[in-house]
Amino acid sequence: MDININLPEPHFLMTSSVQPRLQIQYSPEVEREITCVLSAIVAASPQLAATYNPRWLAIQLLEGDEPLLAELQAAAGGPTVMQTLADSLARLREIYGEDIDVTLADSRYNFVHQLVSQTVTRAPDASAGWSDRADKIFTHRYVGIPIFLLVMWIVFKTTTDVATPYLDWVDTIVSGPISRQTIALLEVLGLGGGWMESLLVDGVIAGVGGVLVFVPVLMSLYLVLAILEDSGYMARAAFVMDYFMGKLGLHGKSFLPLIVGFGCTVPALYATRTLENERDRILTGLLVPFMSCGARLPVYVLFAAIFFPRHAGLVIFGIYLFGILMAVLLGLLLRQTLFKKGEALPLLMEFPPYRMPTLKNIWHYVWERTSAFIHNATTVILAASIVIWLLMAIPIRGNGTFAETDLSDSAFVTLAQTVAPAMSLQGFGNWEAGGALVTGLVAKEVVISTLAQVYNVADTDTETEPVSLGEDALFVVTSFTEATLDTLKSVPLIIGINLFEDDGADTNSDLKQAIRQGFQQSSGGHGSLAALAFMVFVLLYTPCMASLAAERHELGAKWMWFSVVGQLALAWLMSMLVFQVGLLLGWG
Amino acid sequence: MLKQVLYEIESAQGPVNLDALGRKLNIDRSALDGMIQFWVRKGRLQIQDQPQAETAAVCGGACRINCAGPQSCPFVMHLPLTYYLNPAPDEGEE
Repeated sequence: MDININLPEPHFLMTSSVQPRLQIQYSPEVEREITCVLSAIVAASPQLAATYNPRWLAIQLLEGDEPLLAELQAAAGGPTVMQTLADSLARLREIYGEDIDVTLADSRYNFVHQLVSQTVTRAPDASAGWSDRADKIFTHRYVGIPIFLLVMWIVFKTTTDVATPYLDWVDTIVSGPISRQTIALLEVLGLGGGWMESLLVDGVIAGVGGVLVFVPVLMSLYLVLAILEDSGYMARAAFVMDYFMGKLGLHGKSFLPLIVGFGCTVPALYATRTLENERDRILTGLLVPFMSCGARLPVYVLFAAIFFPRHAGLVIFGIYLFGILMAVLLGLLLRQTLFKKGEALPLLMEFPPYRMPTLKNIWHYVWERTSAFIHNATTVILAASIVIWLLMAIPIRGNGTFAETDLSDSAFVTLAQTVAPAMSLQGFGNWEAGGALVTGLVAKEVVISTLAQVYNVADTDTETEPVSLGEDALFVVTSFTEATLDTLKSVPLIIGINLFEDDGADTNSDLKQAIRQGFQQSSGGHGSLAALAFMVFVLLYTPCMASLAAERHELGAKWMWFSVVGQLALAWLMSMLVFQVGLLLGWG
Repeated sequence: MLKQVLYEIESAQGPVNLDALGRKLNIDRSALDGMIQFWVRKGRLQIQDQPQAETAAVCGGACRINCAGPQSCPFVMHLPLTYYLNPAPDEGEE
């Protein structure tokens, strides 16, 4: 930026010992009081007048400079000057109220602004012009939100279409080579065929593996979000969302926890403590769980792939929008009832410059979040899978023994059947779905692992010839190569170009077929509608135990229980409406 | 000029972009930053750059992730410099 400075003729400039060249003129009332205080300083405190420029000192004292006031108190003649100062301040307060220092500072800024306007010319900054034009579009209060929704739609389309080949590859590897070689290893160790094999294959591999299958999906999601954040767009999106939040009567700070909630509910709930107003904090904390967290995405991806294969991205996008819609409606309702007072206050934000995302930043972003998901899978989900396996292995009735009992006689089914009837109006009143929803209270990923365990069909039963470790290793490499090529062919799907041959049912695994059959049966032939209702229930009911602990810590036990009961009631009601209204309209 | 900046922020029907505010008032961005800092010192504006990261650290890894500090929570979105307007002293809550 080129700056040319053309100074006018020299004026008075105030220094301690030379003639002033430039002097800022305040309002007549202020100048009068400056003169009063200045005269008092010169007359009563010559020592201070010799140390500081009297006019400068007078202005600083009128602004309330505390170190100088203390020095004045201790100086000879100080009390006399203090009395004159107090009288001047009293007269100025009658005119300007308590904002005397603001008035003085404002005068200086006005002076500098006028001087700069008259003397400084700047060459236009071309990059700033391009960025400004882009911001006018991306942050437009009416166009900005549709653009944001379009961007989010592209995000979900990319996640569902592009990640599917790798998702299928991981699924094949988990149910194929990993399961086969685990069984082979156990046989070598003499542990094959017993409860240990059942625990590892039907419990750990089915449960944890069922969740790890979605690592490619989450990596894809985080990759696109990383590009958006590193490019500088997400700051603009947050800016647009704040305008939207203001229209709902929510504090501008509320959008930060809500945005964080799309990743994970727990830190989002803790982020509400930045809201000083208790009503805003509690209201935001009640709405955070409706921002669908990343842990629920595998459930949506699985069910959308099973029941809406051609529109999976659109369905998932719709689920996220529905969550936002529910948060908006609930927020408006609570604003009119329990949280009547409070107002949205403006937010100022500095936009980062638009830039090309770097590979380093993108990788760091993707890996941090994906490793968090994998860490969760190897801890909580592993523990949950073992517990579920135990419940499925313990016989409650019948003649079976531990790990040798029919599933229908197990403790898990007995417990799940107590919940299942409550979901009959939703179309998924079977124990498999009910049990998965109950275990989903531990963590939403456990819904997937539970379904994988309860619907588990051993692919190895269809194997007639043993497969060597080398053959499985080769299969891993070749299938990965095929998945990579399919992923590249999937990229044009984002814009509707299908490069695949239409091979429909070939991608359906046993798990997907079992879930489809189960939902068809429980819904009387309306499996798609029941699946949609199931996804709505997963969206709206209690996120997880960790989020409950965060709610209790941040909002208190009373509001935690209010949230739990409210979310369960809302989930039950909305999923019931989705299914029943869909039936009336002849959908699904 | 100082009061005009505050007035523009108070009367805005939504969030305000600092660069756009500077252009509207024909104020150089560096001068605007000084005025913003003045209102922060007066308590009318509150700066908020990484509060969500701080609170996420306080959760102590409740989401079962090893939390090594404010910058390590992978789910926290790090937004640019942000300010919020505080109510005027005579508009305190009832």
